[in-house]
Amino acid sequence: MSVGHHNGDVDLDDPRLTRFDLVREGARRDGVEIVHYAPRFPVPGSRREKRIVRSISLMFVIAGLAGLGFVVSYIAWPFHYKPGFNINKWFTPMLGITLGLTLVFLALAMITWGKKLLPEEIAVQDRHDQIPDHAERRLTGATMLNMADELGIARRPLLRRAALFGLLPVGAAAAAPLIGGLIKDPHNPDILEHTAWGKGIRLVRDDLTPIRPEDVSVGGQMTVFPGIPGGNTNDHADSPTLLIRLRDEDASKLRSAATKIPENADSMYGNLVAYSKICTHAGCPASLFEQQTNILLCPCHQSQFDITNNARPIFGPATRRLPMLPITVDDEGFLVAKSDYQQPVGPGFWERSSS
Amino acid sequence: MTPAAEDRPSRRRRTRLLRRLGTPTAPRSKLRRRFGSAVRMLAALLLVGGLYAAFAPGVQAEDTSTLSGAAQQGQSLFDATCISCHGRNAQGVPNKGPSLIGVGSAAVEFQVTTGRMPLTQQQNQADRRKPIYSDDQARDIGAYIEALGGGPQLPEGDNLHSNGEIAAGGELFRVNCSSCHAFGMGGGALSSGKFAPSLNDATDRQIYAAMLTGPENMPVFGDNQLSPQEKQDIIAYVQNQKNDQDPGGWGIGRLGPVPEALVIFLVGLVALVFASLWIAGKS
Amino acid sequence: MKRRKFDLAELPEATAVQVDDRLQIASPLRRMFNKVFPDHWSFLLGEIALYSFIVLLLSGTFLALFYDPSMQETKYDGSFTPLRGIEVSQAYRSSLDLSFDVRGGLFLRQMHHWAALLFVAAIVVHMFRTFFTGAFRKPRELNWIIGVLLFWLAFLEGFAGYSLPDDALSGTGLRIASAIVLSIPIVGSWVATSLFGGEFPGHVILDRFYILHVFLIPGIILALIVVHLALLVKQKHTQWPGPGRTNSNVVGIRMFPAFSVKAGGFFMLVFGVIALLAGLFQINPIWLFGPYKAAVVSAASQPDWYVMFLDGSTRLMPAWELRFHLFGHGYTLPPVFWPTVVLPGILTMLPLFYPFIEARFTKDKAVHHLLQRPRDVPFRTALGCMAITFYLVLFISGGNDVIADKLKISLNAMTWAGRIGLLVLPPLAYYVAQRIALGLQQHDREVLAHGVETGIIRRDPDGRFYEVHQPLGPVDDHGHSELEYAGWVVPKKMNRIGALLPTLRGFFYPVESRTPDGHVPSDAPISPAPQHQEIGSGRS
Repeated sequence: MSVGHHNGDVDLDDPRLTRFDLVREGARRDGVEIVHYAPRFPVPGSRREKRIVRSISLMFVIAGLAGLGFVVSYIAWPFHYKPGFNINKWFTPMLGITLGLTLVFLALAMITWGKKLLPEEIAVQDRHDQIPDHAERRLTGATMLNMADELGIARRPLLRRAALFGLLPVGAAAAAPLIGGLIKDPHNPDILEHTAWGKGIRLVRDDLTPIRPEDVSVGGQMTVFPGIPGGNTNDHADSPTLLIRLRDEDASKLRSAATKIPENADSMYGNLVAYSKICTHAGCPASLFEQQTNILLCPCHQSQFDITNNARPIFGPATRRLPMLPITVDDEGFLVAKSDYQQPVGPGFWERSSS
Repeated sequence: MTPAAEDRPSRRRRTRLLRRLGTPTAPRSKLRRRFGSAVRMLAALLLVGGLYAAFAPGVQAEDTSTLSGAAQQGQSLFDATCISCHGRNAQGVPNKGPSLIGVGSAAVEFQVTTGRMPLTQQQNQADRRKPIYSDDQARDIGAYIEALGGGPQLPEGDNLHSNGEIAAGGELFRVNCSSCHAFGMGGGALSSGKFAPSLNDATDRQIYAAMLTGPENMPVFGDNQLSPQEKQDIIAYVQNQKNDQDPGGWGIGRLGPVPEALVIFLVGLVALVFASLWIAGKS
Repeated sequence: MKRRKFDLAELPEATAVQVDDRLQIASPLRRMFNKVFPDHWSFLLGEIALYSFIVLLLSGTFLALFYDPSMQETKYDGSFTPLRGIEVSQAYRSSLDLSFDVRGGLFLRQMHHWAALLFVAAIVVHMFRTFFTGAFRKPRELNWIIGVLLFWLAFLEGFAGYSLPDDALSGTGLRIASAIVLSIPIVGSWVATSLFGGEFPGHVILDRFYILHVFLIPGIILALIVVHLALLVKQKHTQWPGPGRTNSNVVGIRMFPAFSVKAGGFFMLVFGVIALLAGLFQINPIWLFGPYKAAVVSAASQPDWYVMFLDGSTRLMPAWELRFHLFGHGYTLPPVFWPTVVLPGILTMLPLFYPFIEARFTKDKAVHHLLQRPRDVPFRTALGCMAITFYLVLFISGGNDVIADKLKISLNAMTWAGRIGLLVLPPLAYYVAQRIALGLQQHDREVLAHGVETGIIRRDPDGRFYEVHQPLGPVDDHGHSELEYAGWVVPKKMNRIGALLPTLRGFFYPVESRTPDGHVPSDAPISPAPQHQEIGSGRS
């Protein structure tokens, strides 16, 4: 039933029609049949109706009061940060409780109104989508085919090819600044193969003070950065290094294991070893050093590295050992790097070829 | 040909001498000979033993009279409980307890005041428990172990944070400590059943001692690595954060997105699904 | 001079006439008022997502007035003393200022974040409702595709959103994201460098995320939501089978006033729940995390819940890296590629095309507006349960270090349990769900044939005990009724067929009396419709 005047329409000028008759007729013309419509309180003014109206009103009043409470709390409650346990710390909870109560009671009031005060109704609407309208399809199909025909793309190959030639590069021209502006070559300047470390660069703490070998306790670890300006900032996010002093037995175990890998062979200084802190799995700082088991755990995905065996991964998803930084001491007795890391630091990538 | 031994002039002189001394010269009976040699043996032993006792270095604990009062108290406590796993002189017992020579009073105070020691059951890692010794008793045992073998000691006093700078401590905490103990100090898992414990119950002295001595798998942060001032900074940060009420409501453990996920499903969605059931009912 | 009379009572009608003169909206407006919506609680789940999105737009606008996406370093000088003097980015500083120095800023930050978690949670629950009831079948495949796209857009939007404050927790997540992009074969390093404008983290990524988060993605989401709802209006909502319900009608309540009042109330409720969460539960305490520094990380680092399943897949992935030689160079395919690029790719494509895959399998080309009970489609229900189990194993593994720590389980054991569980539990769930669905189907038919158990035991003269069953329809000689299953709930308890009043009645009022307004509570409609045709089972 589409909108419009059909047979079966009620005469709207009939004086006997009630308002609900009009409603019903309007719905019928929209394809909706109101099958059941029963007011909840056929006898107006019953006790039950009054009780429900009162409770809904109460809910609105509570909502209003809570809303007022929200505005007052927002304006007047002290909120600036004060350490410890104090009333300022209750600012956000107060806002949450007052606003929450406002909204929840509004909701309760509206929903109760809808469920208990509005008449019960059941309406049925036709979908009108079961039978395809073949006539309309034909008409629209013909219109569209005519469009294509009039444009003449099929009939005029030269035009078609020329249009294609003209339009395609336009698409590329639109995309070019977006891609061209964003694109950056990872190899020029190279960011993947080198870090900020180099020969003679001092190992420094977070406060940029240099480090002597005796500063690191036996069984201790220290996070160190390259001693260059900004070495401890995110400008050199691939450079944080873990400096560990091993016990004698563990250090000699590592020393003999290090001989098996040429670039690690001469990288320790006494019992001190420096490994890249950037996990070779996904780049989190691998920093949970278990000083008795000599396992380094990365907290992100639980890769575990054996410190006494060239930081080889022994559990978890990591596949490459942590690179070792070759270290020694300079003339003043501070620890320095002998060179940059001998292999790329951090997570793997397609072009990474060294083992 | 030599004359018989008894006839030699030396022999005759010896006999006369012995007679003057009152020693019998005539050969004695077998029994008397045996008895005499026993007496002589005993005398020799006593002499040697006495010399040894007087001059040999003390392998055992020092002479009790040289220990301080606290260390003496500590020794009696040690001998009552710790000795079974750590040995008579704290040298360790294989497969039971490590040597305590050189661990210092700091380590002892940490382990005993957190109740980790005496160890009640073998686990992957000792757990914090209700301590069976009071703080003073723990310090006494610590003094004893310190006297035995030396090692790191804690500074005086219960308050080790009032000189600390909170912001500086925060920086140090985040670089050195949060990877195991978490930003919210709730602790974290290590490999194979080990864990870094929560710091919520730790006192100033316990935190200082843990940094200084590196209990179990915790790395050691000696005073050259983290100066006493830096340690106080860290403790100031930790204690401040623990005593800082969460401004956003209930902190749900300060453990990050995991409890937040639980809340959104168990509180938020459950409430709204029940609300939907109320609103629409079952048609 | 004659003054025109201003009659207040005539104002509404006068306004309506003015508007209709210009727009001719009388018919379309009434059509909208009379639109029928079916009434079932599970149809409201999508609305939770819609209302959360509105809350996100409102709270996000407020936050955007204070937030600064710049990564330039500065010294924090606000009122949060434990961070005073620390070098932080402007993004972090502005987020801290919002939390401590803007009145109500923390409350709005928390509302925004809780609404985001609720948004994605509601999408997921709504998605499962649509899946398990078969609402995605023809003609609604396009709406389903839009829905899946909305899920992934919400995922990306949330990721960008929680990375904006530049705190240590989300910065770690950003680092992992850069590693994920790096792991893509051939173009990975180019894409990663281009995205970050150089080496990680660079100085532009937050500016770019900001534009993505406040403009591009919300715009696309808004547009897709509009299309999603427009399709819903055009095709009308699906409905459960039942009395009077056929494949070519919709039985329910009209939009105005009944449905709108309840929908508006629900909006208030969703908003209220978000406000209560925002005030009572702290979320994303960035001041505890500190600013993002490459050397800083925390135990118990996880992304927000809707990304956590990918964290789980990354943790469970074994250490398998492909290394090979091509043209004299060595190349690497890192292990992060499979769980974080390939897996989400499959998890996007599979649901996107599922309606067509299922239609191909069931050879079903008909138009469906009636929903199916999950038990009636055992293979789909079992498939869905298998998918949920797979997802849950990954999700729980994403938090396996927190679980290991709090429940004193070995971390290594949790990883192995996840790896094995991921392969073993989903097929098990498939089997169990299928058996349960088949069992429920069987029970339905049994009750249809034999009637409802009344709980009354009788003894016949032979001494045999038997339970009296209440048949649901006319019976043959053997006591079996020949009712066919109609695709809807079969009553299995006596109070569901109106035989007894709910038990609460017997507590406060005598069981025998009716409710004060004369209603006998039951699920059947009260009055027969005028000029109503035969009420059939409605199955088409």
